[in-house]
Amino acid sequence: MNQLFQEAIIISILASTIRIMTPLLFSAMGELITQRAGIWNMGVEGTMLTGAFAAYIAATATGSLWLAVVAAIIAGALMGAIIAFMTATLRVDHFIAGLGLNLLAGGLTLYWFQSYIQGRAQPTFSGFQDIAIPLLSDIPIIGPVLFSQRALTYVALLVVPAVWFLLYRTRYGLELRCLGENPKALDVKGLSVTARQFAAVMLGSALTGLGGGFLMLGFSDRFLADFTAGRGWIVVVALIAGNWKPKGVLLAVTTFAFLESLATHLQVVGAQVPHQLLLALPYLASIVLLMGVRFRSGQPARLGIPYKRG
Amino acid sequence: MIRFEPRTERDGLWTAAAFAMAIAAGLAVSALLLASTGANVGQVFSALVQGAVGSPKAIATTLVKATPIILTGLATVIAFRAQLWSIGQEGQVFAGAMGGYLGAQLLAGLPAVAFFPGVLVFGMAAGVAFGWLAAVLKNRFGVNEIISTVMLNYLIVYLLSWMLQGGPWGESGGTISYQQSPMLPSDAFLPALFGSSRLHAGVLLPFIAAAICSLVLSRTPLGYEIRGLGYNPEALRHKGVNIGRTVTIILMASGALASLAGAVELFGVAHRLRADNLVGLGYAGIIVGMIGGLRPLGTVMAGLFFGGLASGAVYMRVLGDVPAALVPAIQGITLFFFLCAGVLARYRVVKVAVQ
Repeated sequence: MNQLFQEAIIISILASTIRIMTPLLFSAMGELITQRAGIWNMGVEGTMLTGAFAAYIAATATGSLWLAVVAAIIAGALMGAIIAFMTATLRVDHFIAGLGLNLLAGGLTLYWFQSYIQGRAQPTFSGFQDIAIPLLSDIPIIGPVLFSQRALTYVALLVVPAVWFLLYRTRYGLELRCLGENPKALDVKGLSVTARQFAAVMLGSALTGLGGGFLMLGFSDRFLADFTAGRGWIVVVALIAGNWKPKGVLLAVTTFAFLESLATHLQVVGAQVPHQLLLALPYLASIVLLMGVRFRSGQPARLGIPYKRG
Repeated sequence: MIRFEPRTERDGLWTAAAFAMAIAAGLAVSALLLASTGANVGQVFSALVQGAVGSPKAIATTLVKATPIILTGLATVIAFRAQLWSIGQEGQVFAGAMGGYLGAQLLAGLPAVAFFPGVLVFGMAAGVAFGWLAAVLKNRFGVNEIISTVMLNYLIVYLLSWMLQGGPWGESGGTISYQQSPMLPSDAFLPALFGSSRLHAGVLLPFIAAAICSLVLSRTPLGYEIRGLGYNPEALRHKGVNIGRTVTIILMASGALASLAGAVELFGVAHRLRADNLVGLGYAGIIVGMIGGLRPLGTVMAGLFFGGLASGAVYMRVLGDVPAALVPAIQGITLFFFLCAGVLARYRVVKVAVQ
């Protein structure tokens, strides 16, 4: 293998790592906000799926990718409202509410999708293209890896410091973390825990829905059943592995994206492995990653426990 | 403002009313969903009922469709009652069919009395193995069972895909891969209950399994431990119960029930190993178990209801062009209203003045 080819492969692996990271990063940052507010939202998979579906419908119906992005965000927020109603208002067990949401999302999206395409060929759209930033994208290796990506990828990378700033440097963030650690303190001050959890879950789920939307707009041109294929669960794994901290979650998400990128490139370089093994790699990695994670110091103290007054 | 106050005593009538409202609300929202896509709601519902209970053949189909869902529902009951949120049922169904298929190859030629119990045990062993794996991950490594079982589900599905496509079990011949195994020999089909009907002997299994689950839950030390894990694991620990061991047994038993569903589908309905008739059985079982109030009898009833929906949907598809995904959509909607009804049954809604 000549050197030029090797370099091209390495650049390609790294560039696609950044691309694969993008949807996971949006969704993981959304779930980070949600979980820091004390709601263990197990409905990430369903929220991402709904975001992807809304983006697909909007993109094919209106032809506008940016309207599709908005649709994904709204769909995510609506799913968040359902989760918040179930967990914060009705105090249904968080795990059950999340599982219920996933099953509902799986059924509803598939039904609407089949109704939408009934009797015609599935409409497709052309998704986001890479934007090469002038000058920066000409830098060897770093240029094509970092500065020749889709517009939303740059946004996703900015979301990480933004969420960090929101959580640790604003009054709202302090209150939000308090929801997960000690909601009673807010209640005693006369602030509504339920209303705040609603706001946090809807904000977080809007980001999670955007992640699903970008998965659709950046990687595909059509919808499929189980489109998200477990990525919502990988997001939950990334939160645990990242110890509920923005930097840690970023690291965990990068690891997954790198593995997935590596797996898809194994075939490009002609490795003789069944493609199912490559597809299974991220799930295998999740299990191994969680087996190694022992520290849980960052887990919010009241995560997943319905708040009851008194 | 409204507030929820726990009811001090259980009101049977109110509970029943809450769940009746849940069914009504579920059907009403499903009707809205149908109307939203321009279908004739009345026609679709009458086709559903016709196809579910309209003829002896329809009832037979309902029973056949309910069989695997009740089994995965019982698998859910055993795990969820102990607050072990396993959602491995989906993958364990696949594992059960694979184990059964392997068994059919190894035990071929045995007389039916030994063959069928044998292959069902092979199928169940596969689910038991995956239940054990999830238990080890939880006990030894502290991996949340929801996440480990979801990941295992995907791993099992890809394993089956490889076995059928690149691996040893695929149907050979031709250039196109169908992702299915060759047909089983006809003496490996579960025998029909009446003459040549499609009602195979496997439809009896969920009822037997439900009776056993009910007995185990209410009358045995294991049942006590399962309920105890759900209510108060600390108290159980103080009583000297080995929690890790109990978790392992529960997840293995749950796996056995879910994989039995896969094996019964293979030998009773599909007669060859393929993925598309197994997809969703595990998730449907989770819904059925939860709607059934995590009780064996309730699960049987919810399973029959969903079996009727699935059977009715077959009839509906023949009649009109309503999408096949109507059934999972109605399942999901119904589940949500049942979760809300569960809250209504336990709490009293109180209006409070805003200060």
